[in-house]
Amino acid sequence: MPNPTMRSTEPEFAAGTERPTKAHVVIIGNGALGLFLADELIERQVGSVVVVGPSHRDTGASQAAGAMLGCFGETTTESLRTDAARTRFELGVSAHDKWPETLRRLKEFAPSDRPLQTTTESHIILNSVGAELDTVNFAAMIDALDQYDKPWKEVAPNDIPGYNPRTESRALRAIHLPTEGAVDARGVLASLERRLRHGGAILLDQRVRKLVGSGEEVTAVELDDGHIIEAGNVVVAAGVHSESLVRTVFDVPELMPIFPGLGFAMIAKRTGGEPFTSVVRTPNRGFACGLHVVPQGGGLEYYGATNRLVHTISSVTWMADVRFLAQYSMQQLDERVASHEVMRWCSGNRPVTLDGFPLVGWMPLSGLYLMTGTYRDGFHCAPLLAEHVANELQGKSGIIDSLFQPMRRPVATRTVEWSIDEYVKHSLAAWFETGAQAAPQMTTSQIADYYRNMAVQAYEQLGADYALGPDILLYAQGNLHGARRVARYLRTIRGGGEVAQPAGASTGAGGTR
Amino acid sequence: MPVSQPSVADTVRRLVTEQLNLNGFGHELRPDEDLWRLGMTSLTCLGLMLSIEDTFEIELPEEALQDSTFRSINTISAAVKSSRK
Repeated sequence: MPNPTMRSTEPEFAAGTERPTKAHVVIIGNGALGLFLADELIERQVGSVVVVGPSHRDTGASQAAGAMLGCFGETTTESLRTDAARTRFELGVSAHDKWPETLRRLKEFAPSDRPLQTTTESHIILNSVGAELDTVNFAAMIDALDQYDKPWKEVAPNDIPGYNPRTESRALRAIHLPTEGAVDARGVLASLERRLRHGGAILLDQRVRKLVGSGEEVTAVELDDGHIIEAGNVVVAAGVHSESLVRTVFDVPELMPIFPGLGFAMIAKRTGGEPFTSVVRTPNRGFACGLHVVPQGGGLEYYGATNRLVHTISSVTWMADVRFLAQYSMQQLDERVASHEVMRWCSGNRPVTLDGFPLVGWMPLSGLYLMTGTYRDGFHCAPLLAEHVANELQGKSGIIDSLFQPMRRPVATRTVEWSIDEYVKHSLAAWFETGAQAAPQMTTSQIADYYRNMAVQAYEQLGADYALGPDILLYAQGNLHGARRVARYLRTIRGGGEVAQPAGASTGAGGTR
Repeated sequence: MPVSQPSVADTVRRLVTEQLNLNGFGHELRPDEDLWRLGMTSLTCLGLMLSIEDTFEIELPEEALQDSTFRSINTISAAVKSSRK
């Protein structure tokens, strides 16, 4: 395949095959992170770029994403509480500014007449369904908007286009965010693929079986049929598959675990009533991202999303999650949702790191770069991270904080006591949100006591002194596989051994091989 | 003169007794007795799993990480022996 941007001397592709045997950069993963990085590299004319990933993207997060371009809509009480969390939050703020130019780049490659940006605004509703956590996160959101001098205003919930909940679930407060919209995730991915092909990148509809190299460097990738592609640099951006891929060549106990955050959403066609014209969502809720609807254009609406940390990567959907999403969309967003026609079931796995922070940076093996762990806003952050990683691959200075180096010790943002308290708050939120019923004489504090005891016991049994996020704690205490992974990793890092240092992070050497 | 090693079942019994806090109740734990009926919870089972792996220096296979493996001293001992092979 001719490549107008490729250097003329290398790589040499094997004769008679479309598959290259060499590339300057091989990116493993064709989700938002991988494709945006490839696009950035092609734009910079760094040489040949190969992206490997199955075209169906089954189990991936990007293909199932709601792709809200929101960072303030995601704010919780934790977002700005510590320096590390604020650094993570500001990653989203910076990413937000990249999207206008990103969408301009992609517009001519859009696969249909439907706009890639499906709305430019959001409404956040505060109803009484989701317990105290909704209230404090709603307040934290307004506080963050003011701190960063972003526009918002309080609106009457009844005035939100399309919003038509059951009376008992109606919101009593709502705010309008005029600058937080959403994109059509699947349209953006398709546009990126078209633009990449046009620019000369090679997209291989395959999986990578393993990385190839010695104990000091990674030199190639081996595809699932044994085909080898030598690479100047290999970027692992394979979401929840990233950890196991890295372990094919660098299987060390201090590599931070990445858990699949299995989520479910639906894209449905409206059959009547007033359509939504903005993102309408609750604040982030118990262990998840809140209930939301995202206009998709063409009469379609995206309803999301559930989140459960699981042991096995799959694209299954739990019956309980279908019930949850369908029922609460009808009750809390629009009664007319009941007669919507489901056009697509979206199921994917968010890459959730043990400390909840992304893993972005050079690995100790020369030529190996890791780019994952973005949890629920990888899509939103992808254009920014692409610019950062492209810089680092070229040996230039990065544009994000070094906090996210992949071989770090887990970032500590809370005490164990705080973690237990957070777990109780999330559990209560989930209790009420899922419609659980207690005997009328049972008080909320009694339910809280039950969850508190669970959390205290979980820490005792795990022997953990690192304070976990509520989602990880829930997973570890309810799953023997999860418990073992968490306990072993924490034991490793507690051992106090030296954590391996990245090969190319300070010098950019990995990018100049 | 060789020192006799405790059997796998003896060690499992000790770990179960500690983990489920069964000492001092005059209860003679039978090897096939259902630990879930003796008050084991998902959380105490979690701790038991970790202590079994640590003590025997083994890694139980993925498929063994389920409730039935930890049902009794017998089932745990079988899993330990299988992992040691």
